[in-house]
Amino acid sequence: MSGGTSPIFGNLDWNVTPYTDLLRDVNSSTIVGAGAASVLVLGGIATLLLFSWMRWWGPLYRNWLTSPDAKKIGIMYIALALVMLARGIIEGFVMRAHQATALGTLAQPEGGLVAPDHFAQLFSTHGTIMIFFVAMPLLIGLINFVLPQQLGARDMAFPVLNQVSLGLTAAGAGLIMISLLVGQFGTGGWTMYPPYTGKIFSPGEGVDYWLWAILISGMGSTLTGMNFAVTIFKERAPGMHFMRMPLFCWTSLCVAIMLIYAMPALTVSSAMLALDRYADFHFFTNDAGGNMMNYANIFWMFGHPEVYILILPAFGVFSEISSTFSGKRLYGYTSLVIASMSIAVISFTVWLHHFFTMGQSAGVNIAFGIATMIIGIPTGVKIYDWMATMWRGRVRITTPIVYLTGFFLLFVIGGLSGIILANPSIDYQVHNSTFLVAHFHNVIIPGVLYGMLAGIHYWFPKAFGFRLSETWGRRTAYLFVGGFVFTFMPLYVLGLMGMPRRSPTFQNPDFMPWMYIAAFGGVLMLCALASLTWTFWTSYRNRAALAVPGGDPWNGSTLEWSTPAPVPEWTFPCIPQVTARNEWGERKRAGDPWQAPAEYTDIEMPANTAHGLLIAIAAFALGFAMVWHIWWLAILSLLAIPGMVALRGMRVIEPTIIPAAEVEQADRRFRQQIASLTPVTRADEETERNRGVPDISEFAG
Amino acid sequence: MSESNLYPGLNLGDTHGEAHDQAETTVFGFWVFLMSDLIIFGILFAAYAAYLNPMGLAGGPGPNDLFDIKSVAIQTAFLLVGGVAYAGVSLGVKYKKGRAKLVAWLFLCAMLGTGFLFFEVKDFLSQASEGGTPQASGWLSAYWALVGLHGVHVFSGIMWILAMIGQIATRGIDDVVKVRLSMLGVFWHFLDLIWVGIFSFVFLVPLA
Amino acid sequence: MTKPNTGALDPQQSANSEIKSYATGFVVSLALTVGAFAALLSDLPATWKVALICVAALLQIVAHLRNFLHLSFSGRQSREDLLLVLFSVSLLAIMAGGTWYIMSDLSGRMHQASDSNAATHDVPTR
Repeated sequence: MSGGTSPIFGNLDWNVTPYTDLLRDVNSSTIVGAGAASVLVLGGIATLLLFSWMRWWGPLYRNWLTSPDAKKIGIMYIALALVMLARGIIEGFVMRAHQATALGTLAQPEGGLVAPDHFAQLFSTHGTIMIFFVAMPLLIGLINFVLPQQLGARDMAFPVLNQVSLGLTAAGAGLIMISLLVGQFGTGGWTMYPPYTGKIFSPGEGVDYWLWAILISGMGSTLTGMNFAVTIFKERAPGMHFMRMPLFCWTSLCVAIMLIYAMPALTVSSAMLALDRYADFHFFTNDAGGNMMNYANIFWMFGHPEVYILILPAFGVFSEISSTFSGKRLYGYTSLVIASMSIAVISFTVWLHHFFTMGQSAGVNIAFGIATMIIGIPTGVKIYDWMATMWRGRVRITTPIVYLTGFFLLFVIGGLSGIILANPSIDYQVHNSTFLVAHFHNVIIPGVLYGMLAGIHYWFPKAFGFRLSETWGRRTAYLFVGGFVFTFMPLYVLGLMGMPRRSPTFQNPDFMPWMYIAAFGGVLMLCALASLTWTFWTSYRNRAALAVPGGDPWNGSTLEWSTPAPVPEWTFPCIPQVTARNEWGERKRAGDPWQAPAEYTDIEMPANTAHGLLIAIAAFALGFAMVWHIWWLAILSLLAIPGMVALRGMRVIEPTIIPAAEVEQADRRFRQQIASLTPVTRADEETERNRGVPDISEFAG
Repeated sequence: MSESNLYPGLNLGDTHGEAHDQAETTVFGFWVFLMSDLIIFGILFAAYAAYLNPMGLAGGPGPNDLFDIKSVAIQTAFLLVGGVAYAGVSLGVKYKKGRAKLVAWLFLCAMLGTGFLFFEVKDFLSQASEGGTPQASGWLSAYWALVGLHGVHVFSGIMWILAMIGQIATRGIDDVVKVRLSMLGVFWHFLDLIWVGIFSFVFLVPLA
Repeated sequence: MTKPNTGALDPQQSANSEIKSYATGFVVSLALTVGAFAALLSDLPATWKVALICVAALLQIVAHLRNFLHLSFSGRQSREDLLLVLFSVSLLAIMAGGTWYIMSDLSGRMHQASDSNAATHDVPTR
C-alpha cells in the first residue's frame, strides 16, 4: 500500500504479503501471519501436485465442476465448507491462545501472541468464515443433496442456476482465502459496522475484501433460496402433498423463504457501505447526513433471519435422525411443521434485539424484546417433540444420536441465555461482553455444527456408498461436545465478570484461570477437527468393509433410502408415486419395498456445462479487481457475466438423454444385489454385516 | 391442464404438456426472484424516508430545490406507455402474430424505455450541476441509489429486449424464447410498478 | 377481465377481451397518475395531498398487478403468484415499517438533543 494506483495492477504491489511484514519486523504476530499464508500456499501447491500426479484434473472437470447435478453440487458445497471450517477452527484456537497470553501489565499494557490489529483481523475473518463460508455452504450443500431425493424429484428446478450459485459462493470463499496471502482483511468484526469501516477510519483493502466476498456469495445464496423454494413448490413427486413432505423438506422451505427475503437486506447494506467507500456517498458516514444506525438496522434485518437460516436445517436433520435411530415415528409432525413456519416468519420481527443499546426508546426495545421471547416458544415445542420421539424408542447410540444428545443438553442452555439477553434491561448489562460470545456460540455450535455433522454422518453412505466409522465418528462427536463446553462455558463467566468481547488485551488477573480453561477447550476443538479428518480418512480406507450397496443402512422411512448407495445420477429409475407421509416406511410395512418399476423410460438430464465455473471465475476476478482498484479487470469481468448469460441464451441446449436400457440394466443389477444380501438387524447395524439392506420386519417408524 | 392456467403470452400448444410445466416453473421462479428484488427496493424506499429529515439533508439542496415535476411527468408517461406497449408482445406471442410484428413491438418498448432513461439521465445531470450530487448529503445518497437502481433496471430491461430480438433472429420463436418473453414481460411491468412507487413517494410526497 | 386467458373462446374474441383488459388498465393508471400530479399542484392542505398521492399509488399498483401482470384468485398459477406477492408484501411491510418505526424513534431522540441548532431546520419534513 505505498505509492499511487497503477493503471494495470491497481493498488497491488510487493508490500502486501505477510512475508514482507515478517521481513520488516519479526515477532510472534508476523510469524503467525506468515505461517497461515504458507499453509495456504503449500496447501495449494500440494493440491495441484496431487491432482496432477493422480491425473484427477480431467475427472474433476468432467464429473464435478461442470456437473449441474444437485447431489454433486451439494457435495462440493460441503467440501468447500469443511475446508473453510478447518481455517475457522484454527483461527478460533489462535484467538484463544492469544487471550490466554494477553494479560497486560503496568510495564507492558499490551501482550499476547498476536498484535491487536492482527487479533482484530482474526475475529473478523473467523466470524465471516464461520457464518458465510462454513455454516451456509454446509446447510445449502446438505439441502442440495437431500432435498430432491426426499421430494422424489430428479433434480433442482434450475440445475444450471444451482451451479452458478455454488460458483458465486466459492468465489466469495476464494476472496476470503486470498486475503491471507495478498493484503489484509478488515478489522471491523463480521458485521463490519460503519463508520469505523468507512473510508476515513479503515482505508485500504480490508473492508473491501469483506464487502465483495459478501456481495458475491450473498447473490449466490439468494439464487439458491429461489431454487429451493421453486423446487419444493413445483418439483415434488406426484402424491407428495405438502403435509407428506419429510420434516427436512419443511425446514428447507423455511430456509428458502428466509434466504429469498433476508439476503436482499444484506446486499443492500453492503452495497450502501461499498458506495460510501468507493464513491463518497454518505449513507453511514459521520458527516453530511450519514446515519450509521441505519446500517445496524438494515444489517440485522438480514442478520436475524440468518440465525434461523443456520439453525432450521439442523432442526430438520434432528427430526430425521431422532425418528430413524429411535425406530419410531416422528412425534408431533404437524406441530413441528407449524413451529418451523412460525420461526421462519417471526424471525423477521426481532432484529432490533441485536442493538438494544443503540439509543431508541424503551418502548421500541420492549416490543422487539417480547417478539424475541415469543420466538423461543416454537423452538421449545421442537425440543419436546424430539424428546417425545425418542421416548420409549429403541434408541441406538450412533454418532448422529451423540450429536443430538449434545445438542439437547447444550442448545437448551444457549437458548435460555438468549432469553436472558432478550430482556433489554439485562442486555444493557452484558451486551458486548463475552457473555454474548458464549451465547451465540452456544446456539450455533451445538445447533448448526452438530446438526450438520450429524446430517453428514447420516447421509454420507448415500453419497459415497460406504458408512463413516462409528467409532471415530463418536470420538469426534465427544470431542466437539467437550471442546465446546471447555471453550465457551468460561466465556459466560468472563462476560459476567466484565470482560468485553473482541478485546485484544485485559488487565484483570482474575480472568486468567478461565482463559486457560477456554484455551484448553480450544485444544480440544483442534483435536475434534483432527479426529473429523481422521474419520473421513479411516472410513475411506475401510470402504470395502463399510460399503452399504443396499442403500438403506439405517432402516429409514423416507424416499432417499429406496435407492442404491452411492445414488445414481438419475436418483430414481422412475419418479415414485407417493401415497403416504413416510412413503418408504409404508412400503416396508406393506412388505417387499424393493419392487422394480413396471417399465423404464428414457431419462432427460441437464447437460454438463462450464457456465457456472466461468461465472465463478468472472465473479472472483470482479471481486479481486474491485478490492485492489484494478479498474480494467473489474469492467471486463463485469461485462463478461451478462455477456456469458446472453451467449448461453442464444444457443439451443439439448438435455443429455440416458437411455431406458441403461437405466434398466443398472436398476435390475441393484434389485438382484438387494435379493442376494442378507438383511441386517438393528443390533448389528454398526458391524460389517450392515450391507445397507435392513431387516424390514424390525421397521417400526 | 386447462387453458385458463396459462401465463399470458404462452402458447405452447396442447401437445406440450411437459414443456408447459417447465414454463410454469421457470416463470414462477422468476416471480420469486422479482420478489427478492422487491425487498431490495423496499429497503431503499425505507432508507430514503429515513434520510428525509433535516439531519439527512445536512444543509444540502432538498426536494424543492432539485425536483423538476414536469420531467418526472414525462418520464412517467414514457414508462407507462412502454409498459402497456408490451401487451403487443404478449398478445403477439399468444396469437402467433409473426416474427416481424413481435420484433416491432419489442423495439417500440425498447425505444420508450430509452426515452425514459434519456429524461432521467438529463435530470440527474442537471441536479448534479445544481449541487445535488450523491456526495452532498445522506438524503441525496439515498435518492441517487434508489432512483439510480431503478434506472439500472430499466437499462438492463432494454438490454434484455435487445437480447431477445437477437434470440428471435437466431433461434426463432421456440418454446424457450416464448417463456423468456413472458419473463421479460413480468420484468418490464414490474419496473413500471416500482416507478409508481418512486414518482409517488420519492418525488410527489416530499413536494406536497 | 380477471381471467384474461379464456382459451375456450375463439382466439379473436379472447384477444379482444385481453386488449380490453390492457386498455382498462392503461386508462385507470393514466387517470390515477394524472390525479396524483393534480393533487400535488392543487391548493389542498399538505396532509390531504399526501393522503391522495398515497391512495392513488396503491390503487395504481393494484391495477398494474391485475391488468398487466394478470394476478387474480382464479386460475391456479395466477393465484399462486398472487399469494407469493401478498406474502412478500407483508414481509416487506414488517421490514419497511420496522425501519420507519426504529429510525423515526431514533431521529426523534436525536433531534431533541440538538434542537438548539436551528440552522439545519430550514427544510420542513413532510
